[in-house]
Amino acid sequence: MSKLSYAVLGLFDTPDALMHAIPKVRAAKLGTVEAYTPYPIHGIDDALGLRRSPLGGMVLVMGTLGALTAFGFQYWISAIDYPIITGGKSAASWEAFIPIMFEVTVLFATFTAGLGMLLLLNRLPFFGHPVLSSKAIKGITRDRYALALEAESEAFDSAAAAQALQAAGAVEVEILPAPDRSPFLTSDYILRTLGGIFVTCLVAGLGIYTLTKWFPLLAPMKYMQDQPRLNAQKASTFFKDGRGMQPPVPGTVARGYLPTATGTQDAAATLVNPLPRTKEVFALGRKVYGNRCEVCHGALANGSGSLTAAYGAKPANLQAQQFRDYPDGKLYWVIVNGKNAMPSHAPYLTETQRWAVVHYVRALQRAQNAKDEDLKVVAP
Amino acid sequence: MRTDASVHAVPVPEGLLEPSLTVGKVTPGSLDDQVLAFPETRPPKQWYLALAVTLTALGIGLACIGYTFTTGIGAWGNSSPVFWAFDIINFVFWVGIGHAGTLISAILFLFRKRWRNAIARFAEAMTIFAVMCAVIFPLIHVGRPWLAYWLFPYPNQRALWTNFRSPLLWDVFAVNTYFSVSLMFWYLGLIPDIASMRDRTTSKLRKTIYTVLALGWRGAASHWQHYEKAYLLLAGLATGLVLSVHSVVSFDFATSVVPGWHMTIFPPYFVAGAIFAGFSMVVIVLVVVRETMQLKNLITMRHLDVMNKVILAMSCIMGYSYMMEGFTAWYSMNEYLHHGFMNIITGTYGWAGWITISCNILIPQLLWFRKARASYFWMIFVAIGVTIGMWFERFVIIVISLHQDYLPSAWRIYKPTMIDFGILLGTFGLFFTLVLIFARVLPVIATTEVKAILPDAQPGHGGGHE
Repeated sequence: MSKLSYAVLGLFDTPDALMHAIPKVRAAKLGTVEAYTPYPIHGIDDALGLRRSPLGGMVLVMGTLGALTAFGFQYWISAIDYPIITGGKSAASWEAFIPIMFEVTVLFATFTAGLGMLLLLNRLPFFGHPVLSSKAIKGITRDRYALALEAESEAFDSAAAAQALQAAGAVEVEILPAPDRSPFLTSDYILRTLGGIFVTCLVAGLGIYTLTKWFPLLAPMKYMQDQPRLNAQKASTFFKDGRGMQPPVPGTVARGYLPTATGTQDAAATLVNPLPRTKEVFALGRKVYGNRCEVCHGALANGSGSLTAAYGAKPANLQAQQFRDYPDGKLYWVIVNGKNAMPSHAPYLTETQRWAVVHYVRALQRAQNAKDEDLKVVAP
Repeated sequence: MRTDASVHAVPVPEGLLEPSLTVGKVTPGSLDDQVLAFPETRPPKQWYLALAVTLTALGIGLACIGYTFTTGIGAWGNSSPVFWAFDIINFVFWVGIGHAGTLISAILFLFRKRWRNAIARFAEAMTIFAVMCAVIFPLIHVGRPWLAYWLFPYPNQRALWTNFRSPLLWDVFAVNTYFSVSLMFWYLGLIPDIASMRDRTTSKLRKTIYTVLALGWRGAASHWQHYEKAYLLLAGLATGLVLSVHSVVSFDFATSVVPGWHMTIFPPYFVAGAIFAGFSMVVIVLVVVRETMQLKNLITMRHLDVMNKVILAMSCIMGYSYMMEGFTAWYSMNEYLHHGFMNIITGTYGWAGWITISCNILIPQLLWFRKARASYFWMIFVAIGVTIGMWFERFVIIVISLHQDYLPSAWRIYKPTMIDFGILLGTFGLFFTLVLIFARVLPVIATTEVKAILPDAQPGHGGGHE
């Protein structure tokens, strides 16, 4: 025997033939019996005398470990390292940890089942197995069923093994030589692969270095950082006075607050109330009077408001003949500019509100000094 | 080849045998020639045409996302009080579509429903692609997506940790676990098929790629034993996971106090809706795949019939859930819940509520008829209706509930922008681009799993393993 052989493969056309052959070949005790099939065959593990897969236990252990890891991680973070009260719950309340414990359990268990099966139990990836370079492999991954007698020592008798397989009904027999070198992972191939990996790493490393170096400067959205704004305690370069916020131009008036009476009170006497005497205008006037005027001038405009005593001032009694003779414009001028202790009400009363108050004051004056014909107007 | 009579002392009467899951004579070899040869042939013109369409849609989506990044989230219609709109609607929509794949591959596997084997691969692939589409939305919704890694609890110089009492963080874990597990499940199933492709291809490049991807799989009985165990465990784990993922998504809503969200029915209601939408998408894609890839003998009308029955059952569960929503609102004697529910049927967005109800509850009732379940036109009609209806269901849940909550002074009508629609279109482009590429480069049917359920595939059973 010049060449050592690794195994002898016997090929079968049906799973039944394979199953019938297994006990016969095993009885010959010429080497380890292994089957190669295109899909899992039921009952073949018992026939080959394979031990039960320990995967279930591995998954149970790792799954439990996953649950404990997730619990410990969340507990340490939420209750010890960074306790934050959320929703009024105790920092150590564990009920909220359950969803993530479940997910991590599944994650650990899945990777144990998948990678444990491939890497630990099946010892894959492995590209150098002699069966992979056999002629029979095309059939094995397609529609044929192979039974292998694998050498346990150098004393393996391939001729006897081939005979045993043929006696058991194998249609074809193939002797697999012991591999002198890996058929897929040749040194040449490994060198080229390593070279490729090295170049890839180099390119990726340089790329990542450049990206991390430049990416912070190229943030896609930087509007919030680079606003054309003035920072606190910094002088404006745009305005000559260096102020960021400019004071309004003298005489600036907000929309709707235009005071038309800026001259003297006598000059304002000619102004005419632009508002009609309607129910709405009187209602507005009453509301504004109640909010702004009543505390001093009193509900009847007779100068005895609730604040008078406390304030120590003497607001005008608008029922006095002097004020009943005032033209509308003079009353308006006082509302806008103030008089004596009375401040200007222009900043918070719009043009309409001012004139509405004038109308309302006129109504109060007339109500307190009513004549007989006034009753006739209301009565009909 | 054995016959029934040689195995069983008394032959099984014809009527008691379950019908075969394949049509005509299918052998393991012919199956490989039919399915695995596909990636080695040149794609037809129509494939390139379809790819051009989906890539265009994807391009539009990418342009809209780019515009969002350079302009800001203001490019979308989101505004107070509707801060969650298209982004979260689309997220829930796509995650839901993914659920059918896991249901088919895991839950039906545990129930030993053998018909799943022919369609599981495609459905799993759709799961992965749908989750990829879904993940885009929360990422771009955070506004500064390049800082999205802040979602993970990792030690950082800011000495801050994430809040483990937030359902949004649960979502981060649930969706990431779901994607990892789905990918693992899908890849494990692919390994033996890739090994088959490795051993039949003649192209050197393909051989190298398949060799690496197959990890040296050689079909040893001792490997299959662990493999089957791993697959069973993964199926069991994925079953719990798939129920948890959409439950966690529903917690995003249910744990808040917004009227219309704060309901205990949300987790089962969301899971049922997810399976409902996902199955419809699978039906749409399977009909196209079945016709264009000549797989009529493997994906049979029986498969589609069973799928349609599942859709019908889910539709009934959805109908129950909608009624329970109304019941909860009524029984709560809470004026905010009353108002929220009436908004769904009579409010500004009442039309969306009625689209939801008619597409999800009324139209699928057609599937009670055997003829509708056997007709491409009607099943596609129902499936597209359900896809639209389920999208609008999320619109109803999110926008209608948010646009009018407890504070009437904050009420506002939400209007999406063209950018919103563009990004939605883009995810459809991404999804179908990936589906098209998958259909050309990997086996669309789990040949290994189908081989195992063919007649005579298992020893001693004679007529298959039903």
